[in-house]
Amino acid sequence: MAMNPSPKSSRKVVLVGNPNVGKSIIFRILTGSYVMVSNFPGTTVEVSRGRMQLGGNIYEVVDTPGINSLVPQSEDERVTCEILLREKPDVIVQVADAKNLRRTLLITSQLVEFGIPMVLALNMIDEAEDRGIDVDSRGLSELFSIPAIKTIAIYSKGRKQLLNAIQNAHPPCNPIQALYSRESIVKALDNPAPPALLCIEWLAGKNDDLIHTLEGCMGAAAFTRLKEWREHYWSAGHNYPAREVSGLRNRFLDRSVARYKKKKKSRSLKESGNVKKVWFGLLLAGLLFFAWNEFGGLLRIPTPYDLAMRQAGKSLNAFAAQANPGGDLFRDIVLGLNKDGNFEFGLLPEAVHLLFFIVPVIVPLAVLLSRSRSFAREMGELSRRPSTGIPILLGVLLLLYEFVGYTGAQTLVGLLENAFFEQHFIPWLRALIPEGFLWNLLVGEYGLISMGITYAVGIVLPVVGAFFIAFGLLEDSGYLPRLSILSDRLMRVMGLNGKAILPMVLGFGCVTMATMSTRILSSKRERLITTLLLSLGIPCSAQLGVIMGIAAGFTVKATLVIIGVVASQLLLVGYLSSLLIRGQPSEFIFEIPPIRMPQMKNVVLKTMYRIKWYLKEAVPLFLAGTLVLFFMDSVRIHGQSLLVSFQKGLEPVLSGLLHLPTEAAGIFLLGFLRRDYGAAGLYELSRDGMLTGQQVVVSLIVITLFVPCIATFLMIIKEQGWKKALAIAGFIVPFAVSVGTVVGWILRTFDIQFN
Amino acid sequence: MGRKTTEEIQEVLEAVWTLEEQGSATVDKVVRSAETTVSDELLGRLESEGLLSVNSSGRIRLLPEGRQIAEKIIRRHRLAERLICDVLGYQVEDSEAAACEYEHVLAEGITNSICTLLGHPRYCPHNKPIPEGECCRQASRALTPIAVSCDQLQVGESARIAYFSTKEHSRLLKLSALGITPGVTLKLIQKWPACVVQCEETEIAFEPDVAQNIYVWQTPKE
Repeated sequence: MAMNPSPKSSRKVVLVGNPNVGKSIIFRILTGSYVMVSNFPGTTVEVSRGRMQLGGNIYEVVDTPGINSLVPQSEDERVTCEILLREKPDVIVQVADAKNLRRTLLITSQLVEFGIPMVLALNMIDEAEDRGIDVDSRGLSELFSIPAIKTIAIYSKGRKQLLNAIQNAHPPCNPIQALYSRESIVKALDNPAPPALLCIEWLAGKNDDLIHTLEGCMGAAAFTRLKEWREHYWSAGHNYPAREVSGLRNRFLDRSVARYKKKKKSRSLKESGNVKKVWFGLLLAGLLFFAWNEFGGLLRIPTPYDLAMRQAGKSLNAFAAQANPGGDLFRDIVLGLNKDGNFEFGLLPEAVHLLFFIVPVIVPLAVLLSRSRSFAREMGELSRRPSTGIPILLGVLLLLYEFVGYTGAQTLVGLLENAFFEQHFIPWLRALIPEGFLWNLLVGEYGLISMGITYAVGIVLPVVGAFFIAFGLLEDSGYLPRLSILSDRLMRVMGLNGKAILPMVLGFGCVTMATMSTRILSSKRERLITTLLLSLGIPCSAQLGVIMGIAAGFTVKATLVIIGVVASQLLLVGYLSSLLIRGQPSEFIFEIPPIRMPQMKNVVLKTMYRIKWYLKEAVPLFLAGTLVLFFMDSVRIHGQSLLVSFQKGLEPVLSGLLHLPTEAAGIFLLGFLRRDYGAAGLYELSRDGMLTGQQVVVSLIVITLFVPCIATFLMIIKEQGWKKALAIAGFIVPFAVSVGTVVGWILRTFDIQFN
Repeated sequence: MGRKTTEEIQEVLEAVWTLEEQGSATVDKVVRSAETTVSDELLGRLESEGLLSVNSSGRIRLLPEGRQIAEKIIRRHRLAERLICDVLGYQVEDSEAAACEYEHVLAEGITNSICTLLGHPRYCPHNKPIPEGECCRQASRALTPIAVSCDQLQVGESARIAYFSTKEHSRLLKLSALGITPGVTLKLIQKWPACVVQCEETEIAFEPDVAQNIYVWQTPKE
């Protein structure tokens, strides 16, 4: 896939275009290799390179970051300009969103100046047609004297024509150049290789890097003239030529859009109203059914789900007692009957769960999104307005919880960690390996396999995997940027803007990954605040699953207190850090993509790519963490292991300040290895009846606010440097303990009980 | 109002006003910053006409009548800057010289028309406040401004972009790259919690602060 700068024999094709127009999909069509694709502007941050064979020639294909103009304002745009200038491609393929003709032609008008053979791919032509926009591709083709091809990249439509055009591409003509009256600069450059009008605009801004690149591309004489020309205008204190050029461009664009973009009857008018009505009715029914199952328990109304589960459990128990066809493994995994005969965490109970929670909502939604464009547009509108957007958000979160928190964190974890690792694989290994150091290291209490691998693969992988699937779907549907609109005000309180909601949401999946994704934020300050908040108060899905499990054993009141305390602390710390960390919030200008039906193939590819990332990046961190614990357990000072002395050291804090039993010490230490690990320890303690309701609430709050897991911590060091990482940890630990102390004191003083 | 003041008197009053905005005006500072030669004789004349007062330590204060005149000059100057920068599209530095000419010649009616045309802007391109005029105080409703900032549109309303009023180059470039440039028609589709506009077939969200920077022609010219 990736390869070094081209060998001279191959020809080079560069893909250029606005963000989120499908460059990466076209890249995949051309080369067959995968680039992360999202319905989210700015996904391609790195330049991908691939190869394709065409008519006996080998082409190197370069996918560039999305740009809005070749007069660069961002790092991405500069990178693309430099590629065009430095690498001197043989063919430029401009990938365009056919429905946004003005933005498209701005780039076209700039690209033709390079004089490089060029092809225009008018992509997403179906979306344009749905909106009643007819693009006159023949007219455009004549205007620039380049092939203009209508494509629908996700269905590979127009592929043949595109390949054909790439083979036969020829230099374009430049319709603006002829309009430009001020000849001085164009003449001064002596028909230069680089684009003359773009030069004028580059010179007007502070594009020193680019100008440096220009020097390498053009003759020294021409460059000197260019510099003299620039000095001349700068000393006169104005940029008239640049203004003239951009005015010229604007007028040219207005005229071209008026001429080549035609309105016609929208195809979506033909869309069958009845199909939409029927499925919309089914969606409403599905939502009601979902709500009944979800909240029936709270209102003490019997729900269909409970009834079905009880009925199925009864008959399956009878079935298993008589037949027991596949032995224990079959009973555990397929039937999902555990030792007490309870019906949970198996393939069959999961099927019931999916059928009662996920299917009734998702199926009508998917049908509507793929069949009805007008529904997709209405969804887009509703989900960005607060009055409808917030209920939609709650619904999305509940569905997310059902899928990630239940299917992932309970069923899959139950199957993998409990049924497979604990019941079968680890006991088998323990019997296989001879006792001794190796046994301890691999399968002992803090063994690399029995703890490290079991946790990484048995607990976190299924949860994170389920989350990646759900997140991929959300991402490709175009829903997430609408969250930025809804949350912008709230984020502003914390010195951030709406963009920062994306890492935060991602944090509910995996805080480690979310910490890495803070890179999408534009200022250092925002990245730091977001990282701090992520590691302070966003529980990852693995932890969330366990917390929900514990809280379910208590009352709604307990859950509300925990959520309330954590959320208020997030806001407080965010607000304070926005005051303490200097700098202005960066401005919020954000393109909102249309709602689309996600492409399953793409979601699957993306999930696999992310799981591969997880296995490669995060699993070694788990192993490293386990190793640390293993050594702390093995090294003995004064006959006591380091781990025990450490736990003893924690005891005064725990019993003195937090009023928790001393057994909790080990749990807090484990909490650093995996936050959910710590929470799981609490789960056992509370199940054994060693904690009162108040103690459960206090310890859950502390462990949620407590330092992130070791993998996150290492990621923070990687992203922010060790000084800031230590500062973050140094703040969070005492802070979490103080909040726990205060909450505990309030609960005891006012005698608030949760049992 | 009624009385004609000479250009040099206007320059002195303008200098005093500007210095008072920054803190206080003294004879020394006025001599240095005014665009005309300030002689003791000139100051004496202004004092005797009751436009300003100079105390023993050299501190100058505008008297009500002088303040009134200065306010109008400043208003004309800063409105002219806005006009030259935003509508005619010149650099801020270039607008300065021209604005200095305008401030002495614009009649009050024309000044108010410009102010109304621009939607009663409150700050000049240098971010200094523009004194309110009659038109701002009473007429913002009675007369319809020709240009308004885009957050004053109704949701669902379309309008053609007139000009941007921001100094931040990066913001301008970001907007224009997304297709929001003067001359383009946009449609406001949401105001709260963030503004959302539709430009061609693209929806773009931005914070209210950005919306206040985008001025649109009140009546679409199509």
